[in-house]
Amino acid sequence: MKRFRRQFFLGTFALIVATLMALWLHAKFSHVLPDYAFLTGWVLFAAMLVLTFFNARKKLPFLPLGKAETWLQIHIYLGFFIVVLFLIHLDFRTPHGWFEITLAWLFALVSTSGVVGLFFSRTLPRRLATRGGEVIFEKIPALRHVLKSEAENLALGTDAKSPIIAEFYTKRLAPFFTGPRNSWLHIVESRRPLNALVAELDDLHRFANDAEREKIDKLAALVRQKDGLDYHRALQLALKLWLFVHIPLTYGLLVFTALHIVLVFGFSGGAR
Amino acid sequence: MSEQLPAPDFDAQNYARPNQNWVCGHACEGNSCRQGPDARGRCRATAECQPVLETQPGEQKGRWRCTRPGGTCESGPLPDGSCCRPIAKCSPVPTLRVWRGRATITVMAASCAMLLVLLGKPPWRNSFISPGEISRVHSGEAFVALAATNHLNQNCGACHVAGNSGTHGIVKAALHADPGFFGFHKFLAATAGEVTTIDEACVKCHVGRSFHQPNAAAISCSFCHAEHQGKIMAATTDANCIFCHGDAAKMVAARAGNNLTPVIHHFAEDHPQFRFITDNLRDPDTLKFNHALHLMGATIPNLPGGKKLDCMFCHQSDAAGAFMKPVNFEDNCRVCHSLQFDPETPQLILPHGSAEFVSAFLRSLPRQYADLAKNSPDENGFVQQKLADLRTQFGSGEDLERRIFFSTATFGPEAQIGTLSGGTRALFPGCALCHEVKNSSSGSPEITKPVMPERWLAQAKFNHAKHANMACAQCHDAVHSKDTADILLPAKETCAACHSPRGGVVDTCATCHTYHNTLVVAR
Repeated sequence: MKRFRRQFFLGTFALIVATLMALWLHAKFSHVLPDYAFLTGWVLFAAMLVLTFFNARKKLPFLPLGKAETWLQIHIYLGFFIVVLFLIHLDFRTPHGWFEITLAWLFALVSTSGVVGLFFSRTLPRRLATRGGEVIFEKIPALRHVLKSEAENLALGTDAKSPIIAEFYTKRLAPFFTGPRNSWLHIVESRRPLNALVAELDDLHRFANDAEREKIDKLAALVRQKDGLDYHRALQLALKLWLFVHIPLTYGLLVFTALHIVLVFGFSGGAR
Repeated sequence: MSEQLPAPDFDAQNYARPNQNWVCGHACEGNSCRQGPDARGRCRATAECQPVLETQPGEQKGRWRCTRPGGTCESGPLPDGSCCRPIAKCSPVPTLRVWRGRATITVMAASCAMLLVLLGKPPWRNSFISPGEISRVHSGEAFVALAATNHLNQNCGACHVAGNSGTHGIVKAALHADPGFFGFHKFLAATAGEVTTIDEACVKCHVGRSFHQPNAAAISCSFCHAEHQGKIMAATTDANCIFCHGDAAKMVAARAGNNLTPVIHHFAEDHPQFRFITDNLRDPDTLKFNHALHLMGATIPNLPGGKKLDCMFCHQSDAAGAFMKPVNFEDNCRVCHSLQFDPETPQLILPHGSAEFVSAFLRSLPRQYADLAKNSPDENGFVQQKLADLRTQFGSGEDLERRIFFSTATFGPEAQIGTLSGGTRALFPGCALCHEVKNSSSGSPEITKPVMPERWLAQAKFNHAKHANMACAQCHDAVHSKDTADILLPAKETCAACHSPRGGVVDTCATCHTYHNTLVVAR
């Protein structure tokens, strides 16, 4: 924790200093250097490549390129700083023209998805740890299958002989155990669906004998386990899905940026 | 590379392989096979084991031994050596990593495809890559016509070489740009406002960029006139002007020896006083006019209709309302100064505009009186009587002529009569009251032609219509001016009272000044 705090304060301090320096340089040179936008553009592009290389770095673990953790810290703080660079490159104006507007939107989406991803990666693991349990995302379907089999055995097994439980299982629990449920509600930390289902199971107690009540209690425990599994799946999926926006759009942004560079030099003052 | 051994508690039967791209199709049932899919997502399941043929010494056929991990099965291998427990084939499922890779490739492919389509078709390309709307002057019908006349491309190619060609041409232009992609030293060495290659496109139509001063440094057109900013080209700002005029290093050298203020930043602050004041310039006009008398004098009669003479009677705005029409005798003076010289015969009026005409008129007075008495029974008697009266009053004909030209004493009828009557007086003092009258070398009177400048401060822009809510006297101190030589323009402080940050009215350089000489013409 101490190390994390040190990293946080160091990174934030570096970010603030870099931002102030960039703004100072902008104020000093933006009206003096006619090709100022070319310079800021190249700096911006270089920063984009460094940020993109973080993804490549994870795929090249055998190369001595420093620790992935260091790269992540650079990615986060440079990611914030690149927004400042982008605004400086635009000279704090809104872009004009279809191409530039598309480029700006791609940049905004990549940046926003990055911030969302950072928020997820800082908050969701803590929530998972608080909820308890440790599940590998890829094993969740198998674990769900196991829970479903156990619940089926309890409710519909040969020694069941309980029409109340069988009917309840068929109508309410079978769909619940079949696949992931209530992902959005898990994201917003709502336990309303679980409490409703458990309350319905509790209501069955009134119509059940002692043996059936024991089964109902076991089913309630399985329901809680399945809900926990869904919670893990929802949060772990959120931790993975933001990358579906961040990474593809990053490469789309690089394609547009490459064309932007060609167009700028092709149509600039020096390209008559 | 040595293969790492698995941990003691590693469950080889239930290995999730989270870093691989494909997951066994049976994984969701918790029955993933030991081998798992191959790298291309194909199921590699065959059987639970691959039996091994073991041949004892002396045996010819040998025995197939079950090698199933976790223990041999009950049945053992089949006689042909195959496993008796085949594993059902599955359809391997791609992991999220694969889906993410596919999404990335899709986005990149879609981006490339979209760009190729949009760049491939010229009309789409031009509108897509344009960094903003072109100003009306460079895109309207007039420009298209002008471009056609000048054999120019009417689209992007009019200014950009790359605009004439397709994608290949754009890349070629980019590769040959100067400064090029990595010309960082040139980016850093470039100075603001310096002429760039693209300025060559401007001078194709704007022939010979002309600057407001012959010694003004060459400056890039786009430094002041930023294109692609919308239908109306972005206005030149004070920053553009101050770039030179606020730079002491440039201006002190440029204005050395001409006594001009070197550095100017703001009109209200360090803009110099107008030069007609500092140089005590006087109006060189020879016409004698007393503004104070005409506006405030008690002897000035009212105009026809009873209205008092005011500024607006003589100074009327032109059609655009920006400036005043020149004052002329017929419209503005004759109503009072009707040039009637004979008190008894006010119908006779001297001509205006030429001293020769006046002399000729006076020498033809008998004919003039005869024309007046044309229908009278005693025409000759009328003429003789009138001439006698003139001789009595003025002496000889030469005396009359001299008096008419040179006298400043009033005479003539007390009031207009006939069609000219408006209740105003028409006292005629003689030409010299208003004009400079001299004797020519031939002895005949000569009147110096008045020269009234239509505009003072000709280099500055001004619009009277925009100042219509102000009284004339707020800027022009005419009521205190008795001398024609007074230049009745306001001082800088009068303008700056409004045209300043404190006054709240626009005070940019371009409000009054233009940069280019008016010689700049389109071909």
